[in-house]
Amino acid sequence: MEIDLDGIVIIAGNYGSGKTEVSINLAVNKKRSGIDVCIADLDLVNPYFRTREVKGLLSELGIDVIVPPEKYLQADLPILSPVISGMIRQPCGLTLLDAGGDDVGVNVLAALADSLGGKKYNMIQVVNPFRPFTDTVKGCLKMRSEIEKASKMTINGIIGNANLIDETSVEDIYNGYDFVKQLSKESRLPLRFVTVAAALMPDIDTTRFHCPVLQIERQLVPPWKRAVSIKPVI
Amino acid sequence: MGKVLMKGNEAIGEAAIRAGCLNYFAYPITPQSEVAEYLSRRMPEVGGMFLQGESEVAVSYMLFGASACGERVFTTSSSPGVSLMSEGLSYISGAQCPAVFVNIMRGGPGLGGILPSQGDYFQATKGGGHGDYRLLVMAPASVQEAVEMVMTAFPLAEKYRNPVMILGDGLIGQMMEPVEFPDDLASEPVNKDDWATSGMDTRKSENRNLVKSLYLSSEELNKHNLHLKAKYDRMRREEIRYEKYNIDCDYKALIVSYGTMSRVCKTAIDNLKKEDFKVGMIRPQTLFPFPEKAVNEAASKNSCKIVISIEMSMGQMVEDVERAVIGKRPVRWYGKCGGDVPTPEEVIDVIKSMVKEA
Repeated sequence: MEIDLDGIVIIAGNYGSGKTEVSINLAVNKKRSGIDVCIADLDLVNPYFRTREVKGLLSELGIDVIVPPEKYLQADLPILSPVISGMIRQPCGLTLLDAGGDDVGVNVLAALADSLGGKKYNMIQVVNPFRPFTDTVKGCLKMRSEIEKASKMTINGIIGNANLIDETSVEDIYNGYDFVKQLSKESRLPLRFVTVAAALMPDIDTTRFHCPVLQIERQLVPPWKRAVSIKPVI
Repeated sequence: MGKVLMKGNEAIGEAAIRAGCLNYFAYPITPQSEVAEYLSRRMPEVGGMFLQGESEVAVSYMLFGASACGERVFTTSSSPGVSLMSEGLSYISGAQCPAVFVNIMRGGPGLGGILPSQGDYFQATKGGGHGDYRLLVMAPASVQEAVEMVMTAFPLAEKYRNPVMILGDGLIGQMMEPVEFPDDLASEPVNKDDWATSGMDTRKSENRNLVKSLYLSSEELNKHNLHLKAKYDRMRREEIRYEKYNIDCDYKALIVSYGTMSRVCKTAIDNLKKEDFKVGMIRPQTLFPFPEKAVNEAASKNSCKIVISIEMSMGQMVEDVERAVIGKRPVRWYGKCGGDVPTPEEVIDVIKSMVKEA
């Protein structure tokens, strides 16, 4: 099953739900299937492990990456590149906006309201049920309403990103799927896709899922680990 | 309860709650602010309290006051904030109040940068504030270990009636790892009747307790300092913790490294093993007291030509390593301080060239 997403896609969700890793891998996935992709790092609240850290790799793949100017990359400052407004006004095949965590992380979207005005967009909530505050359906719904309030925008889909990083088991993936399925039912939001780490993929029975699966080639790793090497797009 | 995926900062906050600490005073600073953010949600859920002070100086005295009343107290900060707390640390140590401090270190000196560092080694282990005081300093290398150390820190702070510091670098605070929480601790210090100024009506003791760090008589102050010294000597006897890595082989070099830096070293050691190049490591889990004997013994191995202190600071730990090795082997330093954590490849190159020169 192909992931059916194009145009402007805003990736939101609670802090540490895996938005950036999902955004990076979604960008690569779509680029591989021949779609023009641009991605903007809107994370103004997180100091480490941001899209900007893999800018080089994504650029090599031909993905347009918008990050703050080089000299401010490690500044603890809420810098929003003016290029992002332009990117929204003239979106490419897939324009990914990787927002920051929780309600505070999407405050930035209000600054882009003028550019987003009248445009069609998808705002999707990434959910990892192994994270605090979103380990219950109620918690996820609360997060959804906080994000919607802060951004003054509407969430219209869910991404299931159940994982315990390197300690994720097949069982965790299946339980995570059942969890987001239930969330989808109660929230009436479509489940756009679920994620599975590349290393775990051979052990997963994907016919169990009634939605597409995004394979995650983990890029945001601590310095003692190696990122999964991403092959160039042919 | 199974494992959860947590950021180090969140896990540290949760660990304090599980340790029965319901008093959290702090002031936000990168890369530690998520502790405050997390506890601002969680503390009200468990009937606890998070009070944001007007500065870190104020925070340190909030800790002092609440601790003097026999409450479990806790704060978190990052390097510049801990500098501001240093005065309070000296007073709290002098007055022998238990308290738990967490420093999620960023680059310094001054404002430095927001990326990971271990530049506060001296500040944590040798002082920072004035007077002859010591902190019991523990350094976690994973989010799970940070949880365990925070939960151990409270009983230790009470055992010694002394502040305990958890010294983590920015990565410990910012990275996410699966964690499992040990059983909850009881919520009250067991020995507080002996020292807390909690009111005569609430205590079993017949004696009045007085919390102070002022001793005007030279004789009394000297006696007080000798008492404190005896406590620090006891820590040296009873609280040393460390991990040995790849120490049962004939290694050519011994690494001493702590915190997330030691995890880079482990990857380097594992990769070198594949080339049949043997390197051992001692990872101090307590920085004060420092595992001097363990380092000395490991350095004394016949095959060991050199001891290398690998740290994200400009050689601050070298002094403790040299004290431990007492001239038996040459001691070298390698590290970086800008916020880029050395890679396993860089560490491998350094070890090879230092062994060659030794």
